[in-house]
Amino acid sequence: MRVENVELEDFRNYRSAHVELAEGVNLIVGRNAQGKTNLLEAVHCLSGLGSPRAADSALVRDGSERALLHALVLRGDRRLAVDMEIRPGRGTRALINKTPLSGSRALSALTTSVFFGPDELSLVKGSPDGRRRFLDELVVKLRPARDGLRREWERVLKQRNSLLRTAPRSKSTALPTLDVWDESLCRVGAALAAARLEVLAALLPYALKRYEAIAGGGRIELAYVSSWIDQDFTEEALGDPDTVAAPALAGMLKRGIDEIRQRELERGMSLIGPQRDDVSVSLQAGVDNPTMLDARTYASQGDQRTSALALKLAEHDLLTERLDDRPLLLLDDVFSELDPGRRQWLGDAIRSMGQALVSSAEPGATEAARAECVIEVAGGKAVVGSARNG
Amino acid sequence: MFAGPLQRLVDELSKLPGIGPKSAQRVAFYILKISGAEARSLTEAIVEVKDRVRLCERCFNVADTELCEFCRDSRRDSTVICVVQEPPDIIAIERTREYRGLYHVLQGAISPIEGVGPDDLRIKELLARIHRPAEGNEPVIEVIVATNPNTEGDATAMYLDRLLSPLGLRVTRLASGLPVGGDLEYADEVTLGRALGGRRRMSP
Ligand SMILES: [Zn+2]
Repeated sequence: MRVENVELEDFRNYRSAHVELAEGVNLIVGRNAQGKTNLLEAVHCLSGLGSPRAADSALVRDGSERALLHALVLRGDRRLAVDMEIRPGRGTRALINKTPLSGSRALSALTTSVFFGPDELSLVKGSPDGRRRFLDELVVKLRPARDGLRREWERVLKQRNSLLRTAPRSKSTALPTLDVWDESLCRVGAALAAARLEVLAALLPYALKRYEAIAGGGRIELAYVSSWIDQDFTEEALGDPDTVAAPALAGMLKRGIDEIRQRELERGMSLIGPQRDDVSVSLQAGVDNPTMLDARTYASQGDQRTSALALKLAEHDLLTERLDDRPLLLLDDVFSELDPGRRQWLGDAIRSMGQALVSSAEPGATEAARAECVIEVAGGKAVVGSARNG
Repeated sequence: MFAGPLQRLVDELSKLPGIGPKSAQRVAFYILKISGAEARSLTEAIVEVKDRVRLCERCFNVADTELCEFCRDSRRDSTVICVVQEPPDIIAIERTREYRGLYHVLQGAISPIEGVGPDDLRIKELLARIHRPAEGNEPVIEVIVATNPNTEGDATAMYLDRLLSPLGLRVTRLASGLPVGGDLEYADEVTLGRALGGRRRMSP
């Protein structure tokens, strides 16, 4: 898929801007805080999944009540005019070819993007929540029909926690409904875990390949870490995702919560389930040292960055295969963080990855990207500076 | 802050559901502009609704007498009760003209966050209707649970199923399908997918 042009109105620091994008690599240059990342963020919003880094309220220019995005997206032989109105607190409205969608998140079935910026380092370095979100968003990108799953899970969890917290301490007869919430928890939790396992299994081969290429040898290992799923089950699932059966997972979660019922009542909250699961990332200690080490604690910042980048490029590969189309690649200030060898490698790699938007404050850092089109951003205005053929 | 009476109106309006301080102001200034007759008609409508409309003693739908129009209507099939959360749900179902049974309005759904448990809903009254059908009514054979297709509605449906199935009743749940007029061509893969996931066999 490709974005032919995008118009921003009252989006972040843009009062009004119209940007034509080329096929292939588009380089966004400009000094810091001029709006480079905001432009990438706007293109990401076209996928209906919001900003990769902020809440909707942050997307609206100061003094305005809403932000508008208009874009022309080419997907196969379809030309889709996308209109979005981001209204913090009141949701986002979206139209495709002037037809209103039931919800803006339905856009994720039409435009898909992969964003990688400096904060994505937390994918490897940060808390489990970021890794869970990475998997859950990938689930939606691959299977838009599962969009509600994560929210449904959060709602069930919140309701059950509320019941565990209040029921034992009040005279209410609500406690018998705990069985009902247990059933919801197990059903929705199992569906969520099954979806994550399937996605992680599908991602795995691409991650191996990308990491090996970017690190110049070495191995990355990904595992699903869960206190309630049998380890044999997760290992088998990652080897062959067809073995993942949600009813089996629901059974494991039920056994788990039955065992700790008393403790959950005492603590007044749900203590096991997908909300506590994690993905572990391990890297080979050295090219000649086969020992695998946990990347979160033992890897250097540089290795953490390359493994996070490998995961994101693998996401792009997986989406390309499954969607039968290349998702948009959004690289925010990535080149400047890499050494010259990896810059060269990444520059070569993205040339075969479809349309890409690459931002940089350091023009020298992105020479390797050999852009089709250079867009200069200053003070919330974007100008196509020069274009050349790579 | 405005002069006394105007501020009082704004304050009263902002207590209404879905109306924030800004909309309350907008409505208040609109009311300031309408004619005295229009204003009186509005206040009369509010007072009349409180005086004349009440809840049906049997099903808790809105009614202007002891029983609502459905409970009064002897042509309705009293062997089937459709359980809904709120009275407007009845209007939606009636619009389909597919249903000829009776209703029961729970007046909400189970939601621990909001402190709503089974005792806060009209579930006891539903059980009473099942155990002792009103005069002229047949014994209940089927209960259709038409609570909202969301987390709380589902939980309420599961609770009712556990409560009613052991009584030998047929308990069914509405399939959540596509909204009428939904746009199938574009991007409603989400809704369509959900409808596919929730599909049920047409014949048992
Ligand atoms: Zn009635």
